[in-house]
Amino acid sequence: MSLKTIQAAPGFQDYLPKEYQDLLEDGPFFQQRKVSELGSFKEALEEHPMCAGCAMTLFIRLCYIGFPSLEHTVICGTAGCGRLAITQGAVPFVYGNYGDTNAVATGLKRGLEIRFKDQPKDVVVMAGDGGLADIGFHAVMHSWFRKEKFTTIMLDNEVYGNTGGQDSGMTQKGMVMKMAPTGKKFEKMDMLGLAKTAGVAYTARIAPTNPTRVANTVRKAVLIAREVGPTFIQAYTSCNIEYAIPTPKVMDDARDVEKDRYGFQEYFSDDAKTYWEESEKERKRLRRAAKK
Amino acid sequence: MYSVAEIDVEICSATKCRLCTQFCPEGNTILYDEVRGTAYVAVDRCKGCEICVGICDDLAKHHAIKMLPIDQVKDGFEISKVGFLRTLVEPE
Ligand SMILES: Cc1ncc(C[n+]2csc(CCOP(=O)(O)OP(=O)(O)O)c2C)c(N)n1
Ligand code: SF4
Ligand code: SF4
Ligand code: SF4
Ligand SMILES: [Mg+2]
Repeated sequence: MSLKTIQAAPGFQDYLPKEYQDLLEDGPFFQQRKVSELGSFKEALEEHPMCAGCAMTLFIRLCYIGFPSLEHTVICGTAGCGRLAITQGAVPFVYGNYGDTNAVATGLKRGLEIRFKDQPKDVVVMAGDGGLADIGFHAVMHSWFRKEKFTTIMLDNEVYGNTGGQDSGMTQKGMVMKMAPTGKKFEKMDMLGLAKTAGVAYTARIAPTNPTRVANTVRKAVLIAREVGPTFIQAYTSCNIEYAIPTPKVMDDARDVEKDRYGFQEYFSDDAKTYWEESEKERKRLRRAAKK
Repeated sequence: MYSVAEIDVEICSATKCRLCTQFCPEGNTILYDEVRGTAYVAVDRCKGCEICVGICDDLAKHHAIKMLPIDQVKDGFEISKVGFLRTLVEPE
């Protein structure tokens, strides 16, 4: 939860795994790392068993760069592909039973607020389209209605990837999937519209075609959740296995889908807009002051 | 047999590009050596997806990355053996 608590006692540091030592010496804690620095510091995301060339993996990797204070962040996830990587990151991970993430995150956020009065702790739900739009739908909606101050990130691969390719509410109409042998009969759910209706402070729709934009969007969503209210990111993160995308073509697919139906889109509530404009002004002022 | 990405240091270090480091889906797999001014691959972490090849060829237009069967890789860098390094240049 903070670099202090993961710092090794003197004399023991040499006996810790190299990965751990690297995180302490060249890691991403207590500074906002930039996407342009990737490759030059030890990332929080360790080796993991997600498939080769998975766009979800890339998106998750970029989220860790976007989090505004990694050392004060807790991720809540659940069953699904993303969890295979997220559990291998140097950020506390809490497993919410499938469907329960946003109820668990509610308790976490409220508990942390009581325990750490002077230190904001960011809670972020990261889970699949099945976990959030289908089985966890009620918990997601009610966390929004209650205006819980945490970020929900949907890793939308438009399928139940981890269990072998069943259609979800987020699958496009007409797609032939394991439980839709003649093509899915219903439209893709409008989770962004539902979020707005439920009073979410900030929503974004994004594909991982522009790494800096992914990191900036995640950072924005977490900061707005900290100060204003619930935020939601819906990210296209294709499943190359179930949609049979050859891995060298994964980024071409992301660009095509982005152009066709998944373009970058943001929505701010009035409060979120006011907060964000003020905080941007303040950051600019601080940057100018630092230059002088 | 599987293949991993190999970066041509001569081509890459002639550029100021770091594009593939931002698009590899895996963390700390394409690393960047500030001293030599080049990207390089941790061969034990590369999953052989070839996304970086498309990024270097089509976006960066530098054509510095080729896929190489793992048994033809000479002196491949393995991050699991030595850990994270800022540069592969030995200090004097
Ligand atoms: C309560 C419960 N029901 C069902 C499952 C089985 N299960 C594991 S992963 C998964 C689907 C994951 O789909 P999604 O949430 O879209 O994530 P993805 O794997 O596509 O990233 C299901 C149904 C479970 N673990 N728990
Ligand atoms: S099954 Fe699909 S979503 Fe899951 S890790 Fe593999 S490519 Fe990614
Ligand atoms: S994209 Fe090509 S030129 Fe650019 S850093 Fe990577 S290997 Fe070097
Ligand atoms: S082939 Fe894939 S995993 Fe390997 S370095 Fe390139 S992008 Fe990364
Ligand atoms: Mg899914």
